[in-house]
Amino acid sequence: MEKTKDDGRHTQRLSKLPVGASGVVVGVDGDAELRRRLLEMGFCNGASIEVVRKAPLGDPVEYRLRGYHLSLRQEQARHVKVAHSAKATH
Amino acid sequence: MKPCCQATATFSAHTGQLLVALAGNPNSGKTTIFNALTGLRQKVANYPGVTVEKKTGRCRLPNGTCVSIVDLPGTYSLISRSPDEVVAMQVLRGLRPEMPAPDVVVVVVDASNLQRNLYLVSQLIELGRPLVVALNMMDIAERRGLHVDAEALSRQLDAPVVPVIGHRRSGIEQLREAISQARVAKMPNWPLPEAMKEELVVVGGGLAILDHDEPSAGRPQAGPPVNLHRLVPEDDPRRLDRYQALAERLLIGDYAEDLSEISRREPVASLLASAHTRLGMMGVDPMQADIEAHYRWIESVAGRSTATLEELAAMGAQPPRTEVVRTPPRQNFSQSLDAILIHKVWGLLIFAAIMGALFVSIFWLAQPVQDGIEWVIGWLGQGLTSRMSDGPLKALIEDGIFAGVGAVVVFVPQIALLFFFLAILEDSGYLARAAFLMDRLLAKVGLHGKSFIPLLSSFACAIPGIMATRTIENRKDRLATILVAPFMSCSARLPVYTLLIGAFFAGFGALGQAGIMLGLYALGIVVAAAVAWVFRRTLLRGGASPFILEMPSYKLPQASQVARQVTVNTWAFLAKAGTIIFCLSVILWAMTYYPRLDERARARFADEKAVASAQLEHSIAGRLGHAMEPLIRPLGYDWKMGVGLVGAFAAREVFVSTLGIIYSVGDVGEQTTDLSAAMRADRRPDGRPVWTPLIGLSLLVWFVLAMQCTSTLAVVKRETNGWRWPLFLLVYMNGLAWLVCLGIYQIGRLI
Repeated sequence: MEKTKDDGRHTQRLSKLPVGASGVVVGVDGDAELRRRLLEMGFCNGASIEVVRKAPLGDPVEYRLRGYHLSLRQEQARHVKVAHSAKATH
Repeated sequence: MKPCCQATATFSAHTGQLLVALAGNPNSGKTTIFNALTGLRQKVANYPGVTVEKKTGRCRLPNGTCVSIVDLPGTYSLISRSPDEVVAMQVLRGLRPEMPAPDVVVVVVDASNLQRNLYLVSQLIELGRPLVVALNMMDIAERRGLHVDAEALSRQLDAPVVPVIGHRRSGIEQLREAISQARVAKMPNWPLPEAMKEELVVVGGGLAILDHDEPSAGRPQAGPPVNLHRLVPEDDPRRLDRYQALAERLLIGDYAEDLSEISRREPVASLLASAHTRLGMMGVDPMQADIEAHYRWIESVAGRSTATLEELAAMGAQPPRTEVVRTPPRQNFSQSLDAILIHKVWGLLIFAAIMGALFVSIFWLAQPVQDGIEWVIGWLGQGLTSRMSDGPLKALIEDGIFAGVGAVVVFVPQIALLFFFLAILEDSGYLARAAFLMDRLLAKVGLHGKSFIPLLSSFACAIPGIMATRTIENRKDRLATILVAPFMSCSARLPVYTLLIGAFFAGFGALGQAGIMLGLYALGIVVAAAVAWVFRRTLLRGGASPFILEMPSYKLPQASQVARQVTVNTWAFLAKAGTIIFCLSVILWAMTYYPRLDERARARFADEKAVASAQLEHSIAGRLGHAMEPLIRPLGYDWKMGVGLVGAFAAREVFVSTLGIIYSVGDVGEQTTDLSAAMRADRRPDGRPVWTPLIGLSLLVWFVLAMQCTSTLAVVKRETNGWRWPLFLLVYMNGLAWLVCLGIYQIGRLI
């Protein structure tokens, strides 16, 4: 999964992004119901997304996209593929 | 059925009233707008056949028209599969038998979260009902440095956009005005992929041919005939081809009831399958393409109607008309609050403090009020019957009816307090944070972060606990929580624990006794976790139940909204569950009262206490206790405990007073020493003691695990909208309790 594309960006599972990192959605997989739910919440191709914080117990993780905040369990976040610039900001 | 679904704002034929549906995302402030529109004229009920709450109200438009408003469940979308979304879709399309399609749809939009809120708006535009947008929370958007230009948005959406501030009732008059003039918005040109547009033509053409060839052919195996003709949208002048509109809904997998049926019917099914195959080869997924097309349109609409405040200043406060590139919102109030409230250390400490306050108030604060209510009701009952001579009528009024009313009203302080806290937590936005903090723990056993508060409340009483599960959106998460909540040791179990521990484990010392008490609480938690884990893998399996939790921005809860939540929910409890609880408690009273001993039999006993004891043994409850003996003897219990268990169905603490009557020690109040002594002195015919510490232990475990609270069953019936789940709860918990207690007693006897 962790492949470097020719434009120098990595694609990765959203669940692997560290807190403070941000990326752009490049795909959503998983079963149809989860995919529809994630897409409808705004995880469309091209949407930018930022990892805001982890819950104190490690899961779920809070994200920001389209100007609002939502949290996903790792189990769901791994179905979102994101492209991010080489290194996380923090 | 008469055709009553015109696409313009007309009067519904059969009510003579305008029907308005209020839609909106969760956390969009929809309820506040609904309350502001309808005032106190609202009704809460359930949609027939589903556990979705239906709120309706009335209001009058400036032109004098009387309007019925139905508050749809808060949804992010109309197409996904949750019961809420299905109901919302059915109401909007006029598919629910109990109401016609709405004449106007009002959609509440959170201005501070414009893009995601506009997704629902885009679906409503597609639906083709006259539409009004209520733009809420402009103040929050402005505080985040974002200005939404209502006029520009209105031009983009081709629908009236009315800025409102729900809790200040500002903009409500304009909203009423806009409702009276609502019309259908023009159809935007979604940027769908070319391949998909082509397939719409192909499938739409196929559907048109099928429709004209056999207008009423092809009946499904069961149910009323579904013909294609009925499903083709009403003439929608915005669409070039209504068959293409239907094709689009079928291709993207719209789950509305009527369509899932038609899409499985043969000529249509293969038409769709081949379209899916062709699109699949080109790498186009119709569902994804549709949602992304909507969002691309939304991005352009939002871009043309919003500007950051800096941009506004730069342009001389002239609202921009062109596309602007927005800078991301700055660190805002909610963000800085979250830095503390979900902090690794402080967040958990604050959470513990808030939950502690919630628990203490429903556990202790409610107690004196409950005692007061019981006293008043008892006093009223006695006052009413003081001039009556002893007899069935007096007993019915005093111990049946008034005690029954008391059994219902006694829950009111706890329920009111719980909904007071829930309303504050939910309206402030903290409820989502609480779920965020606790989810990891609960997810391990298949529950949801939002299960925490219901389970915590259940330590005070399962009734408010089960009512609190309403905050859990996912049906299976909610059911799993309801099914394990009664394992939490509620306050009604405490008198029983105290009596039995005091009677049989006095030798353990204060510390040892406290240890046993703690162990009983722990046992309930462990069993609840295990049972939830098992149910999530068996009974409530399937459906990935994705955890997608919006973290709304913090808001100050409004006193009027909180007060309304408390009264509406408390009243709903009294009206719905209260009647069942009342009836059951009168039945239970009759079981301990009838049949009566005759005078000759009574005369044989020395004093009143002995008569009462003999009377109880003679009653249905007493006979049930005897009849139960074969069933409970393997657990170590005799018929007296059986009678106590029957009595405990009214409320668990009644076990103590029932035993008090049987052992002829009279009214057992706080002091149970007489009863403990009588229990310890009790001997079987062969001289062995009736009660042993082992039996005491077995009975304690029985009280942790068994479902013997009719009030809980009544509330589960109300919350799940049927008798299926309460009966299941009764059977599985008592079955489990029986097996565990059997194991304890039988193994214990061998040791």
